[in-house]
Amino acid sequence: MIPKQRLIEIVGTENFTDQLEELIPYSYDASMNVHRPDGAIWPESAEQVAKIVQLANEVKIPVIPRGAGTSLSGGVIPIQGGIIIDLSKMNKIIEISIENRYARVQAGVVCDTLNRELAKFGFVFPPDPASSSVATIGGNVATNAGGIKGAKYGTTRDYVLGLQVVLPTGEVMHTGSYTMKCVSGYDLSRLFIGSEGTLGVVTEATLKINPLPRHAMTAVATFSRLEDAGNAIFQTMTSGILPSVMEIMDQVTLRSIKENTDIDLPDAEAMILTETDGYTWEEVEAQMEVILDIFKKNHPIEMTTAKDEKDRINLWKARKSAYATLARVSNSFVLDDVTVPISRIPELLIGIQEISKKYDIVIATFGHAGDGNLHPQILYDEYDPQQVQRMEKAEAEIFRLAISLNGTLSGEHGIGLSKANYMTLEHDPVEMALMKKIKKTLDPNNIMNPGKRALD
Amino acid sequence: MTNKIQFDEKRRKAIAQCSRCGFCRAVCPIFDLTKRPVTNARGKMILLKELMEEKLSVTDAVAQAFLRCTTCMNCTVNCPSGVDPQEMVKHARKEFVQLGMDNWFKAMAETMAKYGNIYGEEKRVDWEHKKGNAQTVLFLGCVGSYREEESVRETLQLLDILKVDYTLIDEVCCSGVLEDVGYKIIEDLAKQNTREIKKTGAKNLITTCPYCYRVFRDHPAYQNLGVELSHITQFLKNFNFEVRTQKRVTYHDPCDLGRHAGIYEEPREIIRKIAPNFVEPLRTRENAMCCGAGGGFRGSFPKESVRIARNRLSQIIEETGAEILLTECPSCLHNFRNARRQKQKIEIYNITEFIGKLYREKASLGKEAA
Repeated sequence: MIPKQRLIEIVGTENFTDQLEELIPYSYDASMNVHRPDGAIWPESAEQVAKIVQLANEVKIPVIPRGAGTSLSGGVIPIQGGIIIDLSKMNKIIEISIENRYARVQAGVVCDTLNRELAKFGFVFPPDPASSSVATIGGNVATNAGGIKGAKYGTTRDYVLGLQVVLPTGEVMHTGSYTMKCVSGYDLSRLFIGSEGTLGVVTEATLKINPLPRHAMTAVATFSRLEDAGNAIFQTMTSGILPSVMEIMDQVTLRSIKENTDIDLPDAEAMILTETDGYTWEEVEAQMEVILDIFKKNHPIEMTTAKDEKDRINLWKARKSAYATLARVSNSFVLDDVTVPISRIPELLIGIQEISKKYDIVIATFGHAGDGNLHPQILYDEYDPQQVQRMEKAEAEIFRLAISLNGTLSGEHGIGLSKANYMTLEHDPVEMALMKKIKKTLDPNNIMNPGKRALD
Repeated sequence: MTNKIQFDEKRRKAIAQCSRCGFCRAVCPIFDLTKRPVTNARGKMILLKELMEEKLSVTDAVAQAFLRCTTCMNCTVNCPSGVDPQEMVKHARKEFVQLGMDNWFKAMAETMAKYGNIYGEEKRVDWEHKKGNAQTVLFLGCVGSYREEESVRETLQLLDILKVDYTLIDEVCCSGVLEDVGYKIIEDLAKQNTREIKKTGAKNLITTCPYCYRVFRDHPAYQNLGVELSHITQFLKNFNFEVRTQKRVTYHDPCDLGRHAGIYEEPREIIRKIAPNFVEPLRTRENAMCCGAGGGFRGSFPKESVRIARNRLSQIIEETGAEILLTECPSCLHNFRNARRQKQKIEIYNITEFIGKLYREKASLGKEAA
């Protein structure tokens, strides 16, 4: 039983619900995991969050912090019931300090909203997950979200200067500083970044911001051999310039786009979309020349560049439509985010296709080749038990493949529930034990988003 | 009677296709206001999924949840998976009513049948305009006729100034809205409108209300009108207007005119002729946020509806700095006018109303000069 009256005392009647029809949407995210919470609550301040967590800790019921719920790994599914702490109402941009190069925001601020405000000053918070129109900063921090520009601009981790966190005991803690550099004490921010709400509730973040690049140039190249595309990628990444975008789409993805949209594509094993950016046009162009030279040496079928916004949008069309096209051709899918060292990308792509054949299931792969982070999208039908079984086996094998290539289970989505069973593939017993110990130390009653990442 | 709602193949597929990415959160006007997931499209698609899988039973509370949608279609155009959630919502509303879970609109349907309009008004305004034979019939719709009379008067005067040979008719509610809120169009009203339109011998039928336009265009009950149908912005797009404003003007795409009817260009063509200083809001055309009036939402949740209009209006003012907001939908107009705060100086008109007003001002200036 949840302490309904006491929760209402904290946030008011209008900010609490235990109505079934309101709880059902909280039983899902963008993964295939499902479980009902017992209640949901919309705090409006860190103080309220602290009181909620303190109460949950006292009566030992789970609390699950949630932003936009776009998780692809079941990270926000209340697998043991409990209370969803929905941070959507904590959506204030507290401070934009251009002179000190930071923005201080509440956890519920949506990425695109922050970037619209920053753009007014010519600045940007660079991590750009595909869900940025809805994804919240709290969710970005909790999953260490990345995006398309990871190779040049990194992930959320690289921009967090400090956090305000409500600990599982209900105490409020501030980590980090407002400075660009800081080695004062342990870097506790990093412990919470990517912790998927298992160690506390992030209620506020101080984020480093970058000047917006003034110019960008885009190019697309198709390759009849995957190996050539792979070589083009790692040669570019070691050439001395750093492209802001280096995306790859495999043959299955390209065929699906070709067959289901009006986008005309050659019959290729891979397509690369790349972008350079910078302060001056000369700088942008000079960088692109290096890339195009490398592409040329690797036997492309076609190469196209875009200088104006219209052409640019056109070149992005295929990449932008990948997810939607694949989502439309199948009933259900899982979208993973295995990541490997950059030079191992061709091996990963070929391996995924072998797995696809072995289990007779369609797997389309695209993603951020510049940082080795790929998105195999396994298409299946959730109402066909046979297909579900084949999907699960294929997914497990993709994880094993990525690890065998010195890669990781997750580059930017997180472990959540979907990948929890595979944690020991990547982490040795000593590391697993220490992670569990950390969890136990911070959250002795295991109330913070329990059941995730094989930590309890 | 079984207590289950029926899903055909198409809708089963749509439920499976929703990947629950949550992108609809960014564009749902009700979610924007409430932050409660059940109010957005994903929330409702999830409820439908559980209803389909028989994990959830139909209850009054579930049926009520489906009334919280303006059917603005912004989720549909932004859905990467190609799902049309507002169509699913409308269908579900019908299914709930079939199961005996009537909603507020049952009473409205009775009102419509009795009075011929959605408000139960007994007396219709005398527009002092002819009724009889003409080339063109102008159909006003309930919201304009009974709630935005001044706006309608300006539109009528504009058509007179432009020497359009038009007539009004003894119109009754098109009653199409009932189809969106769980019920069926009232055939008798459709027959009366059809009869009245035919009586005039007109070749054209124009509507100021984009919702009436859609009902005449799409509903089988109106398939025998025998006239060429156009929305008033389509009808007027090739006219020349001898008035201008130098003020900064912006435009709000009504959901019924834009996303539902695909009419984006015509209103803009007209506005550009009279307002050289025209600015688009940031969220415009197929991405325009809803004013909160549609899909029966204003009827069911009037307070929330006005708060949504307030949000949209503030958004438009902030994004454009406009002095004049134009639209061409009596419902949007009415909601925005109700929502405007005193300190907000922006003036809000239907396009045709605004042009009519410009003509009137020009004429009175002319008189003063004389």
